[in-house]
Amino acid sequence: MRDALSGVRVLDFCWVGAGALVTKLLAEHGADVIKVESRARPDNLRLSPPFRPGAEGLDGSGYFASRNNDKRSLALNMTTERGRALARRLAARCDLVTSNFRPGVMERWGLGYEDVAADNPGVVYLSMPMQGGDGPHRDYVGFGATIAALAGLVHLSGLPDRPPVGTGTHYPDHIPSPGHALVAVLAALRRRRLTGEGCRIEVSQLESAVALLAPALAAAAAGLPEPVRSGNRVPEESPSGVFRCRGDDAWVALAARDDREWRAVAEVLDAPHLAADPRFATHAARKANEDALERELAARCAGRDRHELARALQERGVPAAAVLAADDVLADPHLRARRFWRTLEHPVMGTLTAPAAPFLADGERTGATRPAPLLGEHTREIASTLLGLSEAEIAELEEAQVLW
Amino acid sequence: MAEEPLSGVRVVEVAGALTGYAGRLLADLGASVTRVALSPAAAAATGVPAAPLGPDGPDAAALFFHRGKEEALLDREGLEALAASADVLLESAEGDAERCDAAGLRERNPRLVHAVVSPFGLEGPRARDASTDLVRLAAGGLLWLGGYPDAGPVAPFGAQSTFAGGIYAAVAVLLALLERETTGRGRFLDVSVQEAITQALETSLADVELTGRVRVRAGDVPREAGTGVYPCADGYVSMVAGRLGTAPAWRRLREWLVEVGTPGAEELLGEEWESLAFRQRPEAVARFGELFGAFAAVRSKRELYAEAQARNIPLAPVNTLAEVLADPQLAARRFFRDEGGVTLPLPPFRLTGATVATPA
Repeated sequence: MRDALSGVRVLDFCWVGAGALVTKLLAEHGADVIKVESRARPDNLRLSPPFRPGAEGLDGSGYFASRNNDKRSLALNMTTERGRALARRLAARCDLVTSNFRPGVMERWGLGYEDVAADNPGVVYLSMPMQGGDGPHRDYVGFGATIAALAGLVHLSGLPDRPPVGTGTHYPDHIPSPGHALVAVLAALRRRRLTGEGCRIEVSQLESAVALLAPALAAAAAGLPEPVRSGNRVPEESPSGVFRCRGDDAWVALAARDDREWRAVAEVLDAPHLAADPRFATHAARKANEDALERELAARCAGRDRHELARALQERGVPAAAVLAADDVLADPHLRARRFWRTLEHPVMGTLTAPAAPFLADGERTGATRPAPLLGEHTREIASTLLGLSEAEIAELEEAQVLW
Repeated sequence: MAEEPLSGVRVVEVAGALTGYAGRLLADLGASVTRVALSPAAAAATGVPAAPLGPDGPDAAALFFHRGKEEALLDREGLEALAASADVLLESAEGDAERCDAAGLRERNPRLVHAVVSPFGLEGPRARDASTDLVRLAAGGLLWLGGYPDAGPVAPFGAQSTFAGGIYAAVAVLLALLERETTGRGRFLDVSVQEAITQALETSLADVELTGRVRVRAGDVPREAGTGVYPCADGYVSMVAGRLGTAPAWRRLREWLVEVGTPGAEELLGEEWESLAFRQRPEAVARFGELFGAFAAVRSKRELYAEAQARNIPLAPVNTLAEVLADPQLAARRFFRDEGGVTLPLPPFRLTGATVATPA
């Protein structure tokens, strides 16, 4: 499917978080994504760590590289009227225009939906404002972490007697926002391919995160007690938790969905007496004695190797896995067997590893093929082809810091 | 009015643990989705913890996942007959559970886009492993990043891996449908939830590769002064000030603390606080925590939210569910709808120019 979007040209104003992952996946599947930024206003991620030591410039950020592979970079100074005019010319020749600015920014540049659609009625136009394009908080600022807090996800993630911790990341930027935007954009692109019709798509980042809490919200709205932060415990499984294993900060995650799986846990942990213990004999009993249950398991996992223990549990049909840190994920034999990692050679950062798209299509992997662009790497080729500018015109625009 | 973007697309979703949200998203965009249960027990499956609306009430999770779908109880033969004329077949798989005959179906219906969502994918040494949400998050690396340094990793609430798998299944299906418009052929899609989770690891992969540093869970103590979860009078607020282009917000935040007379806050105007390396020192994190803590202890999360946003500082309340339901922005956008006495959110995408299914 790496050519599924062949022929789709994208003018991409998605900076920083959620939006960049949308256009990354499009680029990985054949779309020509033209990322617009400039030396006057580089994508903030270019200034964000981690950097390859010794390469702490605009082209050395691993954060930026992880979200912008396979795109082309056009250095176009949107603080200048000439820059904005060139962007409008490009927008007229693109199938999809994307942005995740605050409401009003694209409009001030003459690149609002109505502006673009006037010249390009079939355009698909995606905006991803933080909280939506209207409403009293439309101009509020935030990041994935603050969206997770607003959405209720942070409050419910953590231990009951400790402050909430959320995901430890800007999670809404990684799955909920780009995921919902991708689904809508791909559906709209298909419709465009069939009918020639475009549309305007708005994806609120807040609403994208809130949608994933729908069941709990519906229950709360019905007047039922709200869930409390419960660590790794869930209503339908017991045990369900992480337990420290042998080694430095090494953990196994395990769960039992029924009594059979619980007895298998006890046997794998060489504690058959626990399986017979009436405190733990049924799901209801285990739930009632979950603190004691977890203490027993913690004592018995402590000396075990996390990978061997997870494997032994799985051999008995028990859900279990070592808790993988980033280096473990990169080394995971299962992901390696599935050819999940792509290797890219970046001219400044050197070798970079990128995850593939999370699916195989008839056994075929798709995902990153080209490293993230240097700032302005493709300015000249885009200017001379799509914009039809002469060498002299390009040189003059560079001199004037319009192509900059 | 133009047609819905997936109008005319016929989806067969086999009731299972991991397909519900994918089917829901496709239905939201206009596909006609038939949810086929192979047994009465399977008909109730959502893959997320049940949210019963009262002792004998319906499961809100099921209402949410299955909205806009037709339901059918069929045997496997009936299911495969339906799939033979469908555009999309969505299945869940775990362990050795029986699945549709992919090769046979493709022979009968070469245009079929057949997606199987499974915890670890259909190939590879872990392909047959059992899982729960917690285990999928562990294998995908997201579990590691959340939680407390002294108490181990903690998963995010709400079966997020189930949603992640569903979202990426829908993405894969839509790419295959787009491709089919050119090639005329369908695809067999092997969607892995573990792999979907790895899309959420933020900088942690690049951290290892570029610096050799393995990022660890930061817990309830912020990683740097100005960024993290902070207590206030009636709960917590979440703030990002300093990095990611928020240097001006970090300055405005410190000026705000000084302006309202927070004792000792002038110290924050010192030059050392401009440096990220300084702000990441434990003593700086602790000192900022004291100063901001004293300031926030007498202010509610609502007050802090409004005032911070007026100053263009990215700060938000850590909302309870009741507070989410009452959020003025979501209310103004009518994001929650009453559907037969049940309050559910709308799809988070709005398409204009194409119509999108909304409940009557």
